[in-house]
Amino acid sequence: MTAPDPNAYSLDINDPEDAELIEYFLGELPDRVQAIATAVSSNDIDELKRITHQLKGAAPGFGFPAIGSAAGEIEGQIRDLDETVESCDSIRAQVDGLISLCQSYISPSS
Amino acid sequence: MADEINNSFDSTPVVLLIDDSKFVHRILGARLRSESISLIGEPDGKAGYERAVADQPELILLDLDMPVMDGYETLRVLKEDPKTRDIPVIVLSGMDSSQDKVMAFDLGAVDFVTKPFELTELRARVRSSLKMSTLLRMLAQKAKIDGLSGLYNRAYFDERLQEEYDRAIRHGHSMSIAMIDLDEFKSINDTYGHPAGDMVISGIASVIQQECRSIDVACRYGGEEFVLIMPETNPEQAFTLCNRIRERCAQMSWSQHPNRAVTLSVGVVGADDGSTISCTPQAWVEMSDRNLYQAKQSGRNRVIASSVDGTSIQVAKAG
Repeated sequence: MTAPDPNAYSLDINDPEDAELIEYFLGELPDRVQAIATAVSSNDIDELKRITHQLKGAAPGFGFPAIGSAAGEIEGQIRDLDETVESCDSIRAQVDGLISLCQSYISPSS
Repeated sequence: MADEINNSFDSTPVVLLIDDSKFVHRILGARLRSESISLIGEPDGKAGYERAVADQPELILLDLDMPVMDGYETLRVLKEDPKTRDIPVIVLSGMDSSQDKVMAFDLGAVDFVTKPFELTELRARVRSSLKMSTLLRMLAQKAKIDGLSGLYNRAYFDERLQEEYDRAIRHGHSMSIAMIDLDEFKSINDTYGHPAGDMVISGIASVIQQECRSIDVACRYGGEEFVLIMPETNPEQAFTLCNRIRERCAQMSWSQHPNRAVTLSVGVVGADDGSTISCTPQAWVEMSDRNLYQAKQSGRNRVIASSVDGTSIQVAKAG
């Protein structure tokens, strides 16, 4: 997989269309973070894979390539997991990293 | 008929996006806004397929990685159904392995775009697929339309005749065929020139087109000869329709030869009940041709109709 060119995904907050997309993404993000946390705590690996897969594909287009990369790493690790694994323990650190990255965008104070 | 097909090239193309991610719907909605397309969306393969059948979009953007019915399965279903088979599909995917791409192309995708999208590239690919699909549809249409008259051509007639014949037999429907020939057309060409003759062909064709109903199939058979397939129409009804065409044509005035009317002769053969038909479609056309010959022999500008079993002949003539 080729790494996305970060410059290709820089949005301009002063452009009304870009601003609308950024606002939409940030508006949706708390729900996704909640869903990730729920999936991890209930060891729902399929759901976690689905959410991270979607974030990987979508976040760069909304101007958040870092979230896309972090989500993509987790998705890749899940793909490499033994199919019989039923717990999210081995990827918990990466998931926590993704969640705090997302939260840093949600609450601009941090 | 031809007019209806033409109109579809003028309207804004509809593009259907099938993707389970709300984010993708949102971003493509915004980023394709500047393109002159109308974007519609569905969140899964089943709903997407049903929408494609109902709305007949010009292009489908299809996500591969969806739960329940994934993109491959959706693509297979779309390509198996004649109602959606010809709609081009661009596959969108977060995976970009050669294996995924090859499989998508094998299943009939026209293009493959990886997520996250590079937007200028996606726009260019959407535009190129739309252009290709417009050209393909124009070609398909050209292949069955006669250039001068705007009616269906001979090749299309042969194909449609068999279909309508089979349908009439299967459902026991009535059906009629009419052979139409312009009277003494050669003298128009000889006296007023070929451009005047061409205007007569296209003028008569437009009367035929106006008088026909949407279920009728009007074709230029060759030269100054036309043929009508009239599904679910018994010989009496076909006779009435053809006689109306005959009357209207005889009354038309022509700017290039105001004193020379153009009349036509018609041979109609019809069946009341398709399940009793025993002749071949070719023999049916020959019978219509014999009625046409009779109409010519007995003085032109008339309609001669008979039933496919040879009985109940009806004649209408000028004056």
